[in-house]
Amino acid sequence: MTTTAVRLDRITKRFADHLAVDDLSLAVPPGVIYGLLGPNGAGKTTTIRMMLNIILPDSGAVQVFGGNGTARDHSERIGYLPEERGLYRRMRVLDVLVFLAEMKGVDRGKARARALAWLDRLGIGEWRARRVDDLSKGMQQKVQFIATLLHDPSLVILDEPFAGLDPVNAQILKDVVLELRNGGVTVLLSTHVMEQAEKLCDMLCIIAHGRKLVDGPLAEIKRGHGGQHLTIGFDGHGGAAAVQLFADKRLVRKVDDYGQYAEVELVPDADPQDLLRALVQAGVRLSRFELVEPSLHKIFIDLVGRDPGHREPGEEGVGRA
Amino acid sequence: MRKVWAVIRREFVERVRRKGFWFSAILGPVFFAAVFFLPALFASSGGTKRIVVVDDAAAAFGERVTTALNAGPALRASRAVAGDGVLDSLMREVGAKRLDGVLILPDDIVTTGRAEYRSSNVSSLRDIQTLESTLSGLVTAARLERAGVDPGLLTRARQGITLATTKISGSQATGESSAQSFSLAYFMAVILYMAILMYGVNVKSSVLEEKTSRIVEVLVSSIHPFPLLLGKVLGVGAVSLFQFLIWGVAAKGLLGMRAALGGHARGFDSPIELFQVPHVSAPTFAVFLAYFIGGFFLYSAMFAAVGAMSSSEQEAQQAQQPIVYVLVVAFLSMFALLNDPGSALAVTLSLIPFTSPIAMPVRWAAGDLPATELWASLALLAIAIVVVTWVAARIYRVGILMTGKRPNLRELVRWVRAA
Repeated sequence: MTTTAVRLDRITKRFADHLAVDDLSLAVPPGVIYGLLGPNGAGKTTTIRMMLNIILPDSGAVQVFGGNGTARDHSERIGYLPEERGLYRRMRVLDVLVFLAEMKGVDRGKARARALAWLDRLGIGEWRARRVDDLSKGMQQKVQFIATLLHDPSLVILDEPFAGLDPVNAQILKDVVLELRNGGVTVLLSTHVMEQAEKLCDMLCIIAHGRKLVDGPLAEIKRGHGGQHLTIGFDGHGGAAAVQLFADKRLVRKVDDYGQYAEVELVPDADPQDLLRALVQAGVRLSRFELVEPSLHKIFIDLVGRDPGHREPGEEGVGRA
Repeated sequence: MRKVWAVIRREFVERVRRKGFWFSAILGPVFFAAVFFLPALFASSGGTKRIVVVDDAAAAFGERVTTALNAGPALRASRAVAGDGVLDSLMREVGAKRLDGVLILPDDIVTTGRAEYRSSNVSSLRDIQTLESTLSGLVTAARLERAGVDPGLLTRARQGITLATTKISGSQATGESSAQSFSLAYFMAVILYMAILMYGVNVKSSVLEEKTSRIVEVLVSSIHPFPLLLGKVLGVGAVSLFQFLIWGVAAKGLLGMRAALGGHARGFDSPIELFQVPHVSAPTFAVFLAYFIGGFFLYSAMFAAVGAMSSSEQEAQQAQQPIVYVLVVAFLSMFALLNDPGSALAVTLSLIPFTSPIAMPVRWAAGDLPATELWASLALLAIAIVVVTWVAARIYRVGILMTGKRPNLRELVRWVRAA
């Protein structure tokens, strides 16, 4: 296939007092896991909503499956898990799933059968006749995840799918996402958890303040980030001596010290051997000294310029009118 | 469209499954039963009252009163001659509940027309009415006799007349009496008011639930907001019609039972006479249904907009106040309308689309009205529905995705004008 699953062409969305998405272009090829990364309030959710034709961009074009129709016209082929989760609290689990599948054009009988199969598979089959608000939060998330997939979509859009999941459920979800991709489904997910994205995504796009900072295949982004990156592990104490050496601006450009180990970016033409020699001379016991690709986390922080966990309140979502 | 159908079915099934639906489905007929039965029960519940007529031994008037009272079903009267201590001992009897009341007839009752009734219960309208009408009949007769009028002539002169009232609609007798018209108008107004309010609020909470749970995002990525809103309104509307069906069947059954029970209540000017079983003609039913459906659509559109612009039930409660006030005004105006269905106020209220869903059926039931007015009112209502729904749908479309504080009027205008 050569057509893109989703293509955004210079889309811009302005809300009353701020620019949510600014001249953003990206292309999601079919059959990949595509990560849309950015700090909170970067415009991820707004971008996704425009992809889905829930809101319209002020300017620019959205194209899905390479055709003219909007995402809503193709809604039978698209599954969407919104960032803020919610179901009809007073409905029974199976009824909710059947209804949401009907909204995607699946007929009731088929929807029922598929819903039962999925509920069993995710281990909540015996809850099918219970009311949604009898379920725990984790189970509700599973139900909502099932609702996203019931109609066998070829494009699945997950907005912060791992937010609020415990490790076990996150694992289950990750397995399903990989399985989808292996089955040829395009998965677009947004997240600000870099470790997840790094493990999962074939391609990604990092945005901040509504603008694209970088996009492309993960490996390319890492290569393109340039510089020499080291991971240095400390054996026991000695971190204090190392910290002094890392302050040497002739060798080290940036350091991210985690206590037990540090990620170090060297000055462009510095020799890693110089740093190793200095560390050994200073008597720092090393457990590890490795030339590495920069972590996605590091790239992200370099690009965004601040910690991804930093919250900027009131920006995520459609915002205020 | 299949998706709209799914939305309708979900609204209908989920609502009908709830306890609340059956609660009001059963409570409605209980309410009707209360209105229909209670007056009859109260009126006939007293049983026979034992009273003593006290008068001067010389006057034959007391004898006549006693006889006349005993001719009726409600009172058992005996006569006592006034004397020292007689009244006091009778009062003690009343105090001990061995006697229900004492009717004191002064010597000059025929001239002054004054008498006194002492009872532990002087609020029994039925008893007082019986006493009054009996006394006034006899006093009148006595006065005429004194003036030399032949008692035979008197009897013939007192031959009563019966005024049968029949409502004429489009020069055809409808078989509805004025009392029936009144009760019909009254009930139509009550039901229209309750149903429009109740189901309008249902639409609001349905919108609000989808908004606050954010399901609406999934929905509007699959279906356009307008068909979604339409399905919602139709689904809730279907629930209301289903509710009416239950009420209708129950009411028919109850009215049948009441007819059997009605025998007890005959012969009194009790309130039950005002609440006769209305004969609901086909045109009346059609008018009722047309205005219910019209009013429901008009108000649910507004309630949907309220739900969409609010982000919590409390906010929505506040935001819906203006709408509820309009509806209350429409309902309260019913009493003015019933007094004079042809007044300028009545005509105006039955033409304004926001009050016409209650005002027009009331006027229709209360009396004949020009067909042109009915059509004009319906046409205005239809136009209002289109306009209000258009505006509400646009508010809905923007509002369901909004979070944060409730928009002010200027922001609302911007939502409506947004492409």
